[in-house]
Amino acid sequence: MKIRIDYDLCEGNAVCMKVAPEVFVVGEDDRARLVNPNPSEELRAKVELAVKRCPRQALSLVE
Amino acid sequence: MKLEEVNLYDLDTWEQRVPHDMFALLRQQAPVFWQKEPQGGPGFWAVTKYADVVHVSKHPKLFSSWRGGTNIFDLPQEELGQVRMMLVNMDPPQHTKYRRLVSHGFTPRRIAELEPHVRDLARRIIDRVATKGQCDFVTEIAAELPLQVIAELLGIPQEDRHLVFDWSNRLIGFDDPEFQTSMEDGKRAAAEMWAYAHTLAEKRKRDPQNDLISRLLHAEVDGERLTELEFDFFFLLLAVAGNETTRNLISGGMLALFEHPEQKERLLAHPELMPTAVEEMLRWVSPVICFRRTATADTEIRGQRIREGDKVVIFYISANRDEEVFDHADQFDIARSPNDHIAFGIGEHYCLGANLARMEIRVMFEEILSRLPDMELAGPPRRLRSNFISGIKSMPVRFTPERRRVAAGA
Repeated sequence: MKIRIDYDLCEGNAVCMKVAPEVFVVGEDDRARLVNPNPSEELRAKVELAVKRCPRQALSLVE
Repeated sequence: MKLEEVNLYDLDTWEQRVPHDMFALLRQQAPVFWQKEPQGGPGFWAVTKYADVVHVSKHPKLFSSWRGGTNIFDLPQEELGQVRMMLVNMDPPQHTKYRRLVSHGFTPRRIAELEPHVRDLARRIIDRVATKGQCDFVTEIAAELPLQVIAELLGIPQEDRHLVFDWSNRLIGFDDPEFQTSMEDGKRAAAEMWAYAHTLAEKRKRDPQNDLISRLLHAEVDGERLTELEFDFFFLLLAVAGNETTRNLISGGMLALFEHPEQKERLLAHPELMPTAVEEMLRWVSPVICFRRTATADTEIRGQRIREGDKVVIFYISANRDEEVFDHADQFDIARSPNDHIAFGIGEHYCLGANLARMEIRVMFEEILSRLPDMELAGPPRRLRSNFISGIKSMPVRFTPERRRVAAGA
């Protein structure tokens, strides 16, 4: 599973971090980052929910 | 109701009620519906399903905010050129650059820092009405908090905040004769606001403060300072967008509680439900009814052919009642979860002030319900005549007056 973050869109709303804290963290700079660049398959549902709920639609699942 | 009877444009309808019956019919029978316009307008595609509103929102280059602006009605070329200086009417990559000038002022982190101060403001708003036993909910309660907060963020002195209230009523109320008698009056309101902004800008140039005006004066896009006109429109957008929508959400949310007394009782008994209650109020009220886009190429929505240049209007207020997304979509449920409403839009133009609005709404309702728990409707609310903002102009309420506090402390 590969995740892409579009930094033109990300504004640090931190919805991803709430939905999937195992994968995303929002730092002091108000930008989302991957804590885990290669999350395991059992996290897929959570990651998909984060992708869907991101208010700026800044996340995408590449594979 | 039959499809031939649907008229989403009709202001007489919107002044009376939100036409949820029309939207339910459209979602079921004609989710991408060709709506004719009066007065020689070309007509538009009314997009009413949640998935389609999201689709249009996620493709800002195909469905442009810039090309024809974001109002349903078409503007003369000269005015269109002017409104394109506002964030809402920009497309990426331009939108991305201008939005970045102010976006870090609205992150959850920054908003959380503001909360204690916003609570203090909310308490004082309630202090002013609490002993009276009755008031107009819209002007004395709902309008005040967003107005005071945006005035402070922008750098407008508090004693001038009612000027902003008047200007934004006249700018947003372009279809309501009570607020704006003519297009000319709307332009006059904008001119007054800009003259005011210029005076304030001159002060800030000499004496910069930690406010958005000072920030905009020093902001650069691609190494260039904002032009005077860009500054003017930025100021106008923040001032209007920052108070009109939140005011209408607070009024509409309170009305929803009045109309669903069992939900109001539930919230009083379980104040911990406030966060989900706020989300449900947002879904239920959807203060921004719709925004317009213009197709930049031939395309399709749900199999319906859309031609380049066609107007496409996305109805958030309908998407938020889509039966396919929300269980019992026509029920007001303060504990609803999940609640993926799109009252703030989604994607490129997701509301810049969403975090601020959520906090203001939550704090205001916490203060209202803890201080004036038996508040009830004392007369019929009056709706704004508009097919853009679902608003309430006045709403008389009554409640058991709070006894004047002796030695209220610091």
